[in-house]
Amino acid sequence: MLVRQPISPELKTKLGIASIAILVGLYTVLSLSRQADKRADAQQRLNDMQVELANTEEVVNNGQTNLQDRLTRQRRQIESLKNQVANAVDRSVPTWRSLFVDGFLRVIRAQGLKRNEYWLAEDALATTGRLMFGLSVSVLASVILGVLMGSYTPIEAFFVPPLSFLAKIPPTAMLAVFFVLVGTDMKMYVTMIIFGTLPTLAQTVYQSARTDVPESLIYKAYTLGASHTELIWNVTFKQILPRLIDAVRLQIGPAMVLLVAAEWMVAGEGFGYRLRLFYQRTDMSVVYVYLLLLGVGGLLADYALISFRRWLCPWFQA
Amino acid sequence: MEYVLECRDVCHWFGTKRVLNQVNLRVTPGQVVAVVGPSGCGKSTLLRAILGTHPPKQGQVLANGHPVTRPGRDVGIVYQDYRLFDFLTCRDNVAFGLMLDETTLPQRIFSFLWRERRDQHRQAAQALLEKVNLADAADLYPSEMSGGMRQRVAIAQALIMEPKILLLDEPFGALDEATREELQVMLLHLYGENLAAKNNSQIPPYTILIVTHELNEALYVSDRVLGLSQYHQDGEHGATIVYDKPAPVFRPGDQRNFEQFEAQKEELRHAVFDPTTIQHHLEYVTFWNDHEKQPE
Repeated sequence: MLVRQPISPELKTKLGIASIAILVGLYTVLSLSRQADKRADAQQRLNDMQVELANTEEVVNNGQTNLQDRLTRQRRQIESLKNQVANAVDRSVPTWRSLFVDGFLRVIRAQGLKRNEYWLAEDALATTGRLMFGLSVSVLASVILGVLMGSYTPIEAFFVPPLSFLAKIPPTAMLAVFFVLVGTDMKMYVTMIIFGTLPTLAQTVYQSARTDVPESLIYKAYTLGASHTELIWNVTFKQILPRLIDAVRLQIGPAMVLLVAAEWMVAGEGFGYRLRLFYQRTDMSVVYVYLLLLGVGGLLADYALISFRRWLCPWFQA
Repeated sequence: MEYVLECRDVCHWFGTKRVLNQVNLRVTPGQVVAVVGPSGCGKSTLLRAILGTHPPKQGQVLANGHPVTRPGRDVGIVYQDYRLFDFLTCRDNVAFGLMLDETTLPQRIFSFLWRERRDQHRQAAQALLEKVNLADAADLYPSEMSGGMRQRVAIAQALIMEPKILLLDEPFGALDEATREELQVMLLHLYGENLAAKNNSQIPPYTILIVTHELNEALYVSDRVLGLSQYHQDGEHGATIVYDKPAPVFRPGDQRNFEQFEAQKEELRHAVFDPTTIQHHLEYVTFWNDHEKQPE
């Protein structure tokens, strides 16, 4: 097959379905084998205990009667182990059924530790609010900075060194600094997201403002009577807009990483907090449902931004 | 006589490399001037000096009587690679200059009259598009147009500003033969309007300076041919105008008979393109009786 040789749409759909089916199948196999392991484990312990009980019984039958207590205890333990074998459930990779009942239904019925606790709504509201706020500030700042850097060489020379340096520090490594400096409320999440996305976004905008707006286009705009402000707003900004939207799309991922990490550590609500809570109880059905929701949310945001770009920049051929 | 473009002793150099050596040039309204020369001789440098993006290190360029120090309204430009605004439709590309020139950013944001103004601009753009045979493509984006269409948009975009002088930088170099001929005829139409205006003793509207590497094209579309070359007596100090003569005038319907060019082409090749021709450049300059070029 040639490199980049096109395939039929049917084949494309089939391959997509196949990949998802394989993913689902792998999970099923993993979860079933985990359940079987768990059951085998319990069975093993039951067998061991039965051997032990047999030994005790033999000793008792030989006339030693002071072991009656132990006998009773072991019989009780066997009952309990039998119960465990019957109900062996592995919570780390739950079955589809338990994923649906213990995870999905619990999440959408919003019944958690206490009744009438609406964690899905609360978490979604908290996390998207933080994300939107942080990203908006970051995008606004990076557009202003990037466009000015791409337009004026003194500003470029001034900001390039710190931006390239800041871009290299992992923001998660700066968590401690953020705690100390801005506390643990909304400011902290926003700082985190800005710190994580602004250097990359600003650099993307700046690169785009330099390469997508060739000098000859700038000269031409001046011959058409543009002022400096008009040049920046009517030419540079309009020209880089689709690239900016694409850059924001790509930065949603890293922003989520940072936000979930911060929530995991300090929040009292939000996706990161809920994930940590249920991870600590090894109640993975809820964790998986939350992961699924995060993925779907990311896809939706991506799709929304692509549609926005198509609507706003119909001229742009991606 | 009033000049729309004047170059006075224009010299330019990059480091130790001297590119332009005392270029003197005067262009009157209505002339279509073709500039030819060996590649790398400084045609683009001269063009940039006139455009104002790279002002000369010595000497002066006057457009419409004012010194050119930065790109502005008096000088229009059409590049070889079109350089349209990708995010505007064909019509808005043409109207872009009117919008930038006649309104300011705050006006566009706050004024209720802006819409009305904009419609006028768009009508003017549409009228000009009809002139360059692009009325049907008015709503296309540049990425949806062919090279020839884009170049016509670029020309209309420059013309709508009514620049005192329009610079064409190898405008048809990237186009196929048929499209190139079509656009050359379009330039002849513009020249025809110049002649008509002159007959009515009005100021001719289009003054054009076209840089090209095609001798046939240069002689066909222009009424005056300039040769810029470093092959002259003072050549080590850069290129200067070594050839300046009238070119035959064509009308749009005339047959493209290039055989009559042969004698002049031969003269051009000898004076401009031949490295062994080391004569004084004033020998080939006849077009101006009043030129003030002085041999060094």
